[in-house]
Amino acid sequence: MFFQQIINGLTLGAVYALIALGYTMVYGILQLINFAHGEVYMLGAYLGIIILGFLTSIGFTAISLPLAIIITLVLSMIFCSAYGMTIEKIAYKPLRNAPRLSPLISAIGVSIFLQNFVMLSQGATDRVFPPILKAEGLTFLNARITYLQIFILIASVLMMVGLHLFIMKTKLGKAMRATAQDRKMASLLGIDIDQVISITFIIGSGLAAAAGVMVAMYYGLVNYFIGYVAGIKAFTAAVLGGIGSIPGAMLGGIILGLMEALGASYISSEYKDAFAFGLLIIILILKPEGLLGRQVGDRS
Amino acid sequence: MIKKFIRILLLSLWFGAITFPFTGIRNAILLSISIMASLILWNTLSKGIIKREGIEIVSKRIQTFSSKIPRRILALFFIFLFLILPLFMNNYFIDITNLTGIYIILALGLNVVVGLAGLLNLGFVAFYAIGAYSYAILSTQANFSFWASLPIVILLVGISGILLGFPALRLKGDYLAIVTLGFGEMTRLVLNNWDSVTKGPNGILNIAPPEVGSIVFREPIHYYYLILIFVILTTFAIKRINNSKIGRAWVAIREDEVAAEAMGIDTVRMKLLSFSFGAIWAGLGGVLFAAKMRFVSPESFTFFESVIILCMVILGGLGSIAGVILGTMILVLLPEALRGFEHYRMLALGAGLILMMVFKPEGILGGPRKRAELRPDDERIYMQEIETIKK
Amino acid sequence: MKKFLYLILFSLLTFNFSLFTVTGCAKKDDVIKLGVAGPMTGDQAKMGTDFRNGVDLAVAEWNEKGGVLGKKIAMVVSDDQHDPKQAVSVANKMVNEGTVGVIGHFNSSCSIPASEVYNRAGIPMITPASTNPQLTERGFDNIFRVCGRDDQQGAVAADFVTNRLRLKKIAILHDKTTYGQGLANEFKKALGNKVEVVHYGGIIQGDKDFKAVLTVVKEKKPELIFFGGIYPEAALLVKQAKELGIKTPFMSGDGVIDPKFIEIAGPSAEGTYLTFSPDPVKIPTAKVFLDSYHKKYGDHGPYSIYAYDAANIMLTAIKDVKSTEGKKITEKLHTLEFNGALGTIKFDKKGDVTVAPYVIWITKGGKFEEYR
Repeated sequence: MFFQQIINGLTLGAVYALIALGYTMVYGILQLINFAHGEVYMLGAYLGIIILGFLTSIGFTAISLPLAIIITLVLSMIFCSAYGMTIEKIAYKPLRNAPRLSPLISAIGVSIFLQNFVMLSQGATDRVFPPILKAEGLTFLNARITYLQIFILIASVLMMVGLHLFIMKTKLGKAMRATAQDRKMASLLGIDIDQVISITFIIGSGLAAAAGVMVAMYYGLVNYFIGYVAGIKAFTAAVLGGIGSIPGAMLGGIILGLMEALGASYISSEYKDAFAFGLLIIILILKPEGLLGRQVGDRS
Repeated sequence: MIKKFIRILLLSLWFGAITFPFTGIRNAILLSISIMASLILWNTLSKGIIKREGIEIVSKRIQTFSSKIPRRILALFFIFLFLILPLFMNNYFIDITNLTGIYIILALGLNVVVGLAGLLNLGFVAFYAIGAYSYAILSTQANFSFWASLPIVILLVGISGILLGFPALRLKGDYLAIVTLGFGEMTRLVLNNWDSVTKGPNGILNIAPPEVGSIVFREPIHYYYLILIFVILTTFAIKRINNSKIGRAWVAIREDEVAAEAMGIDTVRMKLLSFSFGAIWAGLGGVLFAAKMRFVSPESFTFFESVIILCMVILGGLGSIAGVILGTMILVLLPEALRGFEHYRMLALGAGLILMMVFKPEGILGGPRKRAELRPDDERIYMQEIETIKK
Repeated sequence: MKKFLYLILFSLLTFNFSLFTVTGCAKKDDVIKLGVAGPMTGDQAKMGTDFRNGVDLAVAEWNEKGGVLGKKIAMVVSDDQHDPKQAVSVANKMVNEGTVGVIGHFNSSCSIPASEVYNRAGIPMITPASTNPQLTERGFDNIFRVCGRDDQQGAVAADFVTNRLRLKKIAILHDKTTYGQGLANEFKKALGNKVEVVHYGGIIQGDKDFKAVLTVVKEKKPELIFFGGIYPEAALLVKQAKELGIKTPFMSGDGVIDPKFIEIAGPSAEGTYLTFSPDPVKIPTAKVFLDSYHKKYGDHGPYSIYAYDAANIMLTAIKDVKSTEGKKITEKLHTLEFNGALGTIKFDKKGDVTVAPYVIWITKGGKFEEYR
C-alpha cells in the first residue's frame, strides 16, 4: 500500500510541479503572485479536449494516437502561451510600478474573468476527454501504475530538465536570471526587461498548459473551476520549495503530492486540501524562504 | 494614422485568434470586429470629449456644487430617509438592503485591516464564519439569546483575530495575503468536517431570531432596523478610531513601518489590534447574518466571499469610509439590478476589477492624496531616466 | 468630497428605488407566474439548467393546450447560485413578483432557508431534488418534494445489499455535501449491525484524485463500495478504482444517474449499482416526456423528470382549485393524486411522497437499466 501511495503521490506531484514552475518564475522576476496562473492551466486542459476532439473528428487519432497527443500538447501550449502573454500585457504591465496590492487584485480579476469566459463559451457542465486511452498498466510490488502515469512522469521530468537547461545555459536564460536578481541593474546592462517578462509568462503558461492537458487525459474530465484549487496547491508547492527557485518548485511539487497522498491515506481523506493549506501556513511562518530558496529581505 | 489602424487591426485579430477554440470561429470573428470597432471609437473619441482631465473637471464641478449644501442637514436627511425608506419598499428590496447592510459592516471591518493598516487579508471570511457559527451554536446548543450571545461572540472573534495575527505578524505583503487565504480555507474545511459541532455540510438550522421585549424578529423589516442600527454604530466607531491616535498609528505603519517604529509606535501591538478590531466587525456581521438567515452552512463562507468583500473595499476607495459604503452598495445592488444578465455579471466583475486597477486604483472616491500614494511615479521616472541614458 | 459622496449615494438610492418599485408593480395578472429556482450559474449550473428545462417543457405543453385558468403560464427563472443567502433573496423576489408557486430549489441548503420565505408568504413550493429529511420535518405545510428522502433511499440500498446481494463487508465513501453525506449516513444506519462497515470516510467534492483513499479501501477488501455523492466524483472513483486494480463493485444513489457518469467512467462504470426511481422508459408518459425533452434540449439530467412532474403537479392543482391562492393550492396538493412521468405521486402530511420511488439500477453495456 505504501508503494502504491508513493506512485499516486508522484503523479500528483509532477502536475503540481509543472504548474508551480510558472508561479515561481513570475514571482522570481516580478515579485508578483500570478493568481491567474491556475486559470491558464484550466484553459490548457480545455484546449486539450477541444483539440484532441477536433483531431478525432477528422480521423487523425485513428492514424497515430501518440502523434495526435503530441500535437494536442504542443498546440495547447502555444495557445496558452498566447494567453499568458496577453494577460501580462493587459493586467500586469500597466501596474508594474504600482503598489503590491494592485496587481494582486487585477490578477483576481483575470481569474474571475477567465473562469466565466470558459463557462459561457464551453458550458458549465463537465467536459469529458475523448475516451481513447485505456487504463492499462503494469503491476509490480503489489502496486499498479498505468502507462498514462508513466507518460506524465516522463513528460514532466523532460520538461523540467529542459527548462533548467534553458535557464542555465542559454543567453535568454541568463537574462532572466539577471532580471530576477535586480531588474534595474539588468535594464542598465541592456537587457530588454519587457521581453524577458513576456518570455517568462510564455514559458510558465506553456508548462501550465502541458499540465492541464495531461490532467485532462489522466482524469478524463475538466470543468471551468479546476484552476483555483490547482493554482493554490501549485503555489504552495512553489513556496515550499522556495519561491523564485526553479529546482525548488519541482521539489516542492513532488513533496506536496506525496504528502497529500500519504496524508489522505493515513490521516483523513476529508481534510486532504487542508494539508496543503496547513503546510503553506507553517512554511510561510517558520521558513518563508522555503527549502531551496534564497534569503530575501523585505517582502512588503 | 494608418500605423495606428494596423495596430488596432492586429490587436483585434489577436484576440480573435486566441479565443476561437473556445467560442467557435463565428463568434471569434464577431468578437474581433467588435473589439476593433470599440477601439476605433475609443481612439477617435479620446481625442475629443472623453479626456481624463474632462472627467476630472466634471467631477470637480459636482463637488463644488454639492459643497454648498450644509453637511449636517444632508446627514440628517439621510438618516431620516433610511428610517422611512422601508415604508416604500417591498420585502425583496428590504431583504437586499439588509444584505447590503451586513456587507457594509464586513467591508468597513476589512477596511480597517487593509485600508488603514495596509495588511492584505484574503481570509477575512473566516472571522465572518466564526461569528455566524458561534452564534448559531450558542443559540441552538445553549439556548443563548441574540443579545446574550453578542458580547460572547465578539470576544471570541476578537481573540481569534489576535490568534491569526500573531503568526502572521512576521509576514508582509503578499505572503501575509496567502497565509490569511490559507486560514480562510482551513476554517471552511473545519466547518465542513467537524460534524459533531458544526453539523458539517448540513449546516445549523433553526437559529433563534433576536427578540426585543415581546417582539420576535421575523419579518425583513425588523431586521432592517436592527441592521441599520448596527451599520450606524459601525460607521461611527470606525470613523472615531480612524481619526484617533490608533488610526493614525495604523496609517503610519502602512506608509512606512520602520519610520513608524522609530516614531515610537508599538507596531506589533498596533498590527494585532488592527487584526482583531477588523475581525470584531466581521464577527458582528456574521451574527447578524446567522440571525437573519436563521440557518448557516459552510457554503456561505467561501474564498469568493473574501474576494467580494475585498472588491467592495477597493472599488469605493481604500481607507475611505464613504468610499467603502459606496463600493458595497454598488457590488450588492448592481448585480441584483442586472439579474437578467446573470451569466455575464461575473464576467463583468472580473473585467471591472482589472480596469479599475489599471485606470483608477485609488477607487471611485479616492482623493488626490490617495492617488499620490497609490501611484508612486518615482520609479517610473527612474526607469525613464535609464531609458534616456541607454539612448 | 463628502458631499459629492452623498450626492452619488442619493442618486444610486433613487435609481435603485425607482428600479425596484417599477419592477414591483409592472405587469399585472395577465399571466400566471410559476417560479423556478436553482443554481443557474456557477459550478452546479448543469443541475439548474436540467431543472429549468424540465419545467420549461411542462409549461410549454400547458401553454399549447391554452395555459391554465384561461391564462398563459410564464416561467420566472431565478438563480440562487447554490448560495443560501441568494436563495433567500430570490425567494423574496419571486414572492414579490407574484409567483403562484415555486419549483425549487436544487440544494437542500438553499431550499431550507428559502422555504421560510415561501411559508411566510403562503406560496406552495415543490422541490424536485432536495432530499435532506430536515426540509419537510419543520411543520411547514406548503413545502413539498417529488423526490425521495435520503433516509428512504438509503434504506432501499441497504435492503438490497443485505437481503439480495447478501454481502458482509462494505466500505462507504461520501462527498461531504448535505446530499452525499446524508445518503451515506442513512445507508449506514439502515445496514444495522448485520454488515461490517470496514471503511467510512469523506472525500472532497470537486477534487479529481481519489487514488489515495481508494488505495486504503482496497487494503480493507470490502465486497462493495457505497458512494454518497453525485456523478463527477462517482465516475472518477470507479475509473480510478479500475486503474488501481480494484474489482469490487460500486453502489450509489440517484445523483449518479446521469449520462455523463458513463461518458466519463467509460467501461469502468459497468456493474455499478444505483438507487433511482423506476425506469421512466417503461412508463408510457415518461417515454413521451423523454422523447420531447431530448428533441428540445438534448440529454436529460437526473432531475429533469422530477422538475417536469413537479411543475405538472403544481399546475394541475391550480387548475383543479380554479384559483391562484396559495392556501387553496396547498390544500389541494395535500390531497391530489397525480399520474405523472414518474408514476403516481401523492403527498403525505409532511409534504413527502407517500411511496418512496426507489428501485435498484445497474450500469450495463454503457447504459443504465433496472436491475432484476
